[in-house]
Amino acid sequence: MIEEREIHKEYEIKENPLVDVAAYLFLEDIADKQGAAGMNNYLISLATSLAKSMPEEEYKTWEDFVESLEKGESIISTFESVRAKTNHCMVTHKCPFERGWKEYTKRIGDFARVHKEVADYYNSTVKPGVNDTQCIICQTFRAAAAERITVAKKRLKYAQLAAVAPDGSKKIAPDEWKPILLEKAGVTNTDLNMVLRNNACIWILY
Amino acid sequence: MLDVALVSLIQDMSEKAGVEGTIQYWERVGESLAMRMGKEAYMGWPSFNVALREGRTAYSIEGDVTPLTDLAVTDVDGDVVGYIYALKTCVFEPTMQRVRYSVGDVPQADAAVAEEYNNSVKDTAICNFCVIHQKFREEVAKNITVADQPLECVQLADRGFKGETKIARDSLKRIGINPEYVRSLLRNYACVFAILMKGARLKGEEEVEE
Repeated sequence: MIEEREIHKEYEIKENPLVDVAAYLFLEDIADKQGAAGMNNYLISLATSLAKSMPEEEYKTWEDFVESLEKGESIISTFESVRAKTNHCMVTHKCPFERGWKEYTKRIGDFARVHKEVADYYNSTVKPGVNDTQCIICQTFRAAAAERITVAKKRLKYAQLAAVAPDGSKKIAPDEWKPILLEKAGVTNTDLNMVLRNNACIWILY
Repeated sequence: MLDVALVSLIQDMSEKAGVEGTIQYWERVGESLAMRMGKEAYMGWPSFNVALREGRTAYSIEGDVTPLTDLAVTDVDGDVVGYIYALKTCVFEPTMQRVRYSVGDVPQADAAVAEEYNNSVKDTAICNFCVIHQKFREEVAKNITVADQPLECVQLADRGFKGETKIARDSLKRIGINPEYVRSLLRNYACVFAILMKGARLKGEEEVEE
């Protein structure tokens, strides 16, 4: 089992830059034709269908689930390395899109403006919490993956607290939501800011 | 993550836009990627080959590309007009591995798109993603000059994730390389292609005309 994970991790690290950059350009092509709303719908469908293509999971206890999550065995941590700061507060150290974003900016130039425009559309029409299109994919995937997991026979739920994009831009949950989310996460506002100094994303599972 | 998500969408895309539509999508992505990477100019083949080896050309995005400098392509006058190049690992192999571990089977549309491309465009694709990067290479060649001459990229052979191979015999004949020799290159490389000066008068072409 450990050997399999190591093999998997090896391939995660060696993902080819052409594939990532081509995928971004494919999405930009969709935005050219269908606008921000069309691209937003496409990203949501992309992430949802990915989660649905993965097997369902059930855990007897919350501890079993968190252990699986941290080991990278759960579908929710397939693409990102997750650490539990508290029982319900999860931290992603490195954005799973960072490598693709770096390759894009290194080989092509500025990240196309449309990725921020679609994020603005998502923040105003779906829920506020994303920095760019990459966050839309990631957060939609987490929500759809959570729906495929039960812990002690109860469906898992996901909420977003804050995210830092590879370009350094930051998106924190709106002030009116923050106290409730922080309480659910079991962290303070100071904890949140400390985590954001050297991590990419902080989110809640409950 | 994005690459695995895209693989899981191929089936849906092919059902909505048809396999022909998927080919058009991928070709546009390959073109757009090449266009966005800009133009390059080299004084001669040695400077181009060194740039390639050092990862400074647009082709380097594909990974470890080796200029096989023992395999120069010459024209009817015996002048060097290009070389054979080989990519160590298929650009999609890591994605295929990631799909296998996280999702499972690769969608059937993958093979359907490759088959349609082989029938309607050219018989060189093993998986649907071959469409993107073969188009990408062709378009990149148009953006590069060597000794002020524009280039042309010709796909010669490739080996898929499961070991299947495609060898473009007509293209090999055109540049005068024995298909069995290229087959032996596939033991150590995943993809073999030639970069030539556009419009060069190749020996193989002269023989066909005669």
